[in-house]
Amino acid sequence: MATPKEMLTTWDKIQFGAVLPSFEDPEKKIRSKFHSYNYKVADWRVEKPVYNRDLCIDCDFCWVACPDSCFEVEEVVNKRGKKQAKIVGINYNLCKGCGVCVDVCPTPIKSLLMFPEQIDNQEALNQWPKKEDK
Amino acid sequence: MKNIGNLKEFACTPDRFQGGHRLCPGCAHSMIVREVVNATDDDLVVSTATGCLEVCTSIYPYTSWDVSWIHIGFENAAAAISGVEAMYNALSRKDRLYNEDRKVKFVAFGGDGGTYDIGFQSLSGATERGHDFLYVCLDNENYANTGGQRSSATPIGAHTSTTPRGRVSYGEKQRKKDLTMIMAAHGCPYVATAVPGTKHWKDLAQKAAKALSTVGPTFINALSPCTTEWKFKPEETVEIADLAVETCAFPLYEIEDGHKLTITYRPKQKIPIEEYLGRQGRFAHLFKPENKWVIEEWQKNVDAYWEYLQRREEAGV
Amino acid sequence: MAQKYELKSKEVWDGNTAAAHALRQAQVDVVAAYPITPSTPIVQTYAQFLADGYVDGEFVKVESEHSAMSACVGAAAAGGRVATATSSQGYALMVEVLYQASGMRLPIVMTVVNRALASPLNIHGDHGDLYLGRDAGWIHLIANNPQEAYDMTLCAFKIAEDSRVRLPVTTNQDGFLVSHTAQVVEPLQDEDAYKFIGDYKPLNPLLDTKNPVTHGAQTEEEWHFEHKATQHKALMESKSVIEEVFNEFEKLTGRKYNLVESYKIEDADIALIVMGSAYETAMIAVDRAREEGIKVGLVMPRSFRPFPYNEVAEKLANVKAIAALDRNSPMGAMGALYNEVAGALAANGQNAVMTNYIYGLGGRDTTAEHILEVIKETNKNAEAGKRVTDLQGFINLRGPKLSFN
Repeated sequence: MATPKEMLTTWDKIQFGAVLPSFEDPEKKIRSKFHSYNYKVADWRVEKPVYNRDLCIDCDFCWVACPDSCFEVEEVVNKRGKKQAKIVGINYNLCKGCGVCVDVCPTPIKSLLMFPEQIDNQEALNQWPKKEDK
Repeated sequence: MKNIGNLKEFACTPDRFQGGHRLCPGCAHSMIVREVVNATDDDLVVSTATGCLEVCTSIYPYTSWDVSWIHIGFENAAAAISGVEAMYNALSRKDRLYNEDRKVKFVAFGGDGGTYDIGFQSLSGATERGHDFLYVCLDNENYANTGGQRSSATPIGAHTSTTPRGRVSYGEKQRKKDLTMIMAAHGCPYVATAVPGTKHWKDLAQKAAKALSTVGPTFINALSPCTTEWKFKPEETVEIADLAVETCAFPLYEIEDGHKLTITYRPKQKIPIEEYLGRQGRFAHLFKPENKWVIEEWQKNVDAYWEYLQRREEAGV
Repeated sequence: MAQKYELKSKEVWDGNTAAAHALRQAQVDVVAAYPITPSTPIVQTYAQFLADGYVDGEFVKVESEHSAMSACVGAAAAGGRVATATSSQGYALMVEVLYQASGMRLPIVMTVVNRALASPLNIHGDHGDLYLGRDAGWIHLIANNPQEAYDMTLCAFKIAEDSRVRLPVTTNQDGFLVSHTAQVVEPLQDEDAYKFIGDYKPLNPLLDTKNPVTHGAQTEEEWHFEHKATQHKALMESKSVIEEVFNEFEKLTGRKYNLVESYKIEDADIALIVMGSAYETAMIAVDRAREEGIKVGLVMPRSFRPFPYNEVAEKLANVKAIAALDRNSPMGAMGALYNEVAGALAANGQNAVMTNYIYGLGGRDTTAEHILEVIKETNKNAEAGKRVTDLQGFINLRGPKLSFN
């Protein structure tokens, strides 16, 4: 991941017409260094969402509502042979900590909760409310 | 037309619009855009009017787009995409298409500034000319990119930076312009309203899929609750969108062939408008006794419009 | 496939018809245009070509010039040959997008029929629109008659689309005096004209959707300067490509064009600088002046941008006095042509006496007699070895003499 400062270049080496390619390798869908997917907005956050796989029902509400496309999914096949997206994690480079995902999470005990940025994720999971705390 | 299926299936779609953009935390624009560009498996060329979406997704040296994308100016997203579509037709006729095996669809995004106001002429022109494209208005009811000035989409009573509440003012004086109906009056084959979120995600995705598979100019007016200028907490974006629908402040409907209106979601019980207004700082002053009449005026307008939609749907003309 | 248009070796065309035929022969993929006097016939003639099957590209009949140039930018970025036509107020409405077209490095060709800018409203020729687009980052080529309007338009595509240039180009002809004046034009046959221009060479096309690209990004203070400098460099260096294209055109047609045109400048003591149809009027005046013993010559930059400053200075190396004739209201300064030439001379250590004349605004007649008068005044400066006439004068303006010093 190149930072904007590292990408600074001189007039003779600049992208022609300021045209930015999305992919370095379009065939293999490898995103170019010009793609914001390779930019980091993590420093916008004061709180971060932590994801608890054990409680998640893969409703994908967080995926569809996330304004920053943070939720990483894996395509799996369910018992009835239909494909479905399984949430596998959060891309913390892209997350700005808005909290929408927590707000829309429908499980009885939320599978997503906001924690202070500095806390270790495992520690956050240890602190997760139990049923009786609800 | 892409079969949208359930959310578990839709979420398997490879994303074509990515994060790392500089939109505000909790912005609804990206929720809407992502659904729209994922609502087809065909290739896309997207044009975007100057505005929040444009500046935040194409700050050099970064782009957030996995599809071909162009921005020219504030008022010409529709004209730009009409040029792209014309070139596609020309190259197709001359057997010079770049990828013979790929179908290409054309989409333009604009905020309410770029759509209701400064870009309206170019939208009207491109629509009248019958170009095959989908125009999506990301309607956040103000010029958010320049610090929250009023637009013709700003509803009555809203505090904006050019219609501030004050000792002698209750904010915006005009009612919101009914752009969706104006676009329907162009005779577009398909026009719809939509909101982002979890409750109505499929309504939006299906409308986008339908619009993208319709030949000719189509239009979706998507309400985009703006955490920064409407003044609510970033995590509440989806709740606010849902309230806009449940109060009928922003009803969900579609119009086919310029006339056939279908309400696509009917609240079980219409919630009073205060519930929607009370959640947003831009309307806080309306709850003062001297401004209560504005809320009453709102409610009257909402009721009348909801009634109109229902009667029009029933009439089926 | 578009039908071949049967052309005689000599046709009688006005400037508009000539430009329309050049667009047709270039097999433009997308024309997006909005009619405006006096360039309207270009658009209408093109529409008729389309209706008769001589054009198989798209013609987008937009609702304004702003949308015309916007659709041209969209179409050009999409990846094909693009052209439009306009004049005056239409040009003014496009200005925002002209800058975008050049900044995005899109080789659009625009046939401009020059007309005055309101207010007061005026439909006749002057260079108000050309001067308005001066800093827009386009190449501006000047045509003085219908033949040149045709030739310059063909050359414009080849220059614009050259990989070393990739910049938009306008071809300029004077409203009515060229656009509506029929003269004999010797066109190329369709296949020869197209072969001269060549196939369009794509660069980062939006429609190559297998390899998506973002056009029109925002560059702030860390980047903008580098982009604009690169763009300027391309414009500056386009001079050599323009000359190359002109040379190739000469081989094909025998018609020779130069970055800087001149008439009887070689032995001249004084020179006039003028662009557009008045250049031909001035040729008559030069001949008459020479009969009277005044050794005068003419110079015209064929390309207003890039401005061939060194080439102009070279042409003027031996003259003692120069009059720059600007067909645009300078509004608070000397005319642009005066300033460009004065700068070019200063840069080369030349110090001929320079004066400025404003002429032909809103289509006002400028005759050989008027120009002869200018020559005589300029000659006084040459003889005195210093400026003895007014710095800025006005040709054929009614009323008491108006001048500035």
